[in-house]
Amino acid sequence: MTEPTNNDGAKKRGGLLGLWDWFWRPSGVLSVGFTLIAGFLIGILFWGGFHWSMEMTNTEEFCTGCHTMETNLGEYRETVHYNNHSGVRAICSDCHVPKEWNHKVKAKIMAVKDIYHELVGTIDTSEKYEDHRLGMASQTWKKMKQSDSRECRNCHNFDYMDFTMQEGRAASEHQRAIDTGMTCIDCHQGIAHNLPPNYLEEYNRVVEELEANATPGAQGGLNVSLAAVRAFISGDPAPASER
Amino acid sequence: MLNFLGTIAGNALGLPGILGLALGMLTRNPFIAGILGAAVGLAETLVFAGFSFARVETLELVIALCVGVLASLIGCGIRVKGTTV
Repeated sequence: MTEPTNNDGAKKRGGLLGLWDWFWRPSGVLSVGFTLIAGFLIGILFWGGFHWSMEMTNTEEFCTGCHTMETNLGEYRETVHYNNHSGVRAICSDCHVPKEWNHKVKAKIMAVKDIYHELVGTIDTSEKYEDHRLGMASQTWKKMKQSDSRECRNCHNFDYMDFTMQEGRAASEHQRAIDTGMTCIDCHQGIAHNLPPNYLEEYNRVVEELEANATPGAQGGLNVSLAAVRAFISGDPAPASER
Repeated sequence: MLNFLGTIAGNALGLPGILGLALGMLTRNPFIAGILGAAVGLAETLVFAGFSFARVETLELVIALCVGVLASLIGCGIRVKGTTV
């Protein structure tokens, strides 16, 4: 019995090698146009499916599906980002997942560590959660400081603020933040979840670390001096020269 | 480490990866493909840094260049393997 051969007479290979040969064999029945159109449509389906899956991982239900997210979910539900007079809600992904493609993919890859920690139970009790609270908060503060509070600025913008509609203290502090080039996270560390003990010291440490590693001309809030941040948090007026 | 892997993934699924692959498929010459891929990596980094070299982070630039070159070489390989022209 003769062995099966390809059109060029070579012996047909089986298994994965045979699949490889089939994939690269010129087609005798499909036109270029058909292949192009089919590839185009498959590309659309794949890209759409990929985005759809990625957006499913941005829903509150997905994020809070892990048991370890119950604590911060409960805390978040007591804040203005969950319930407020205007009916606008910011869910987990609005603050923790960037909208820009490259930053979003990077965040998604880094979030794989959350699956690992859920599986090994790093914060699966309230005691463990409190032990890690400062570290988890610090990670997020660092990301937000480095990005000039990018996710906050998806919705909030100093230019869109009507200071006459804010409380007096909020208006004056926001004006000072504009004048000294501060970023949202410099003041609003506990905006959606409870603040850990010694959060101010940790935040100052994060700012010092970023200042030490910052390159000249780096973007966003890194251009603000540590002295300006400290003065602002302690309530002392920060001169513009310290910017 | 996660930051590093995330940057690679972002570039692989972004312009350096996708456009680099496509540009690599335009040529059978791996050197030209590599140059095209590197150009895409450089351009994408500059775009996200607001066309200011001062705001470009070295690591991100290196990763974008490497991913762009790798993707374009793969595209060139696809061209060589999959076509007779």
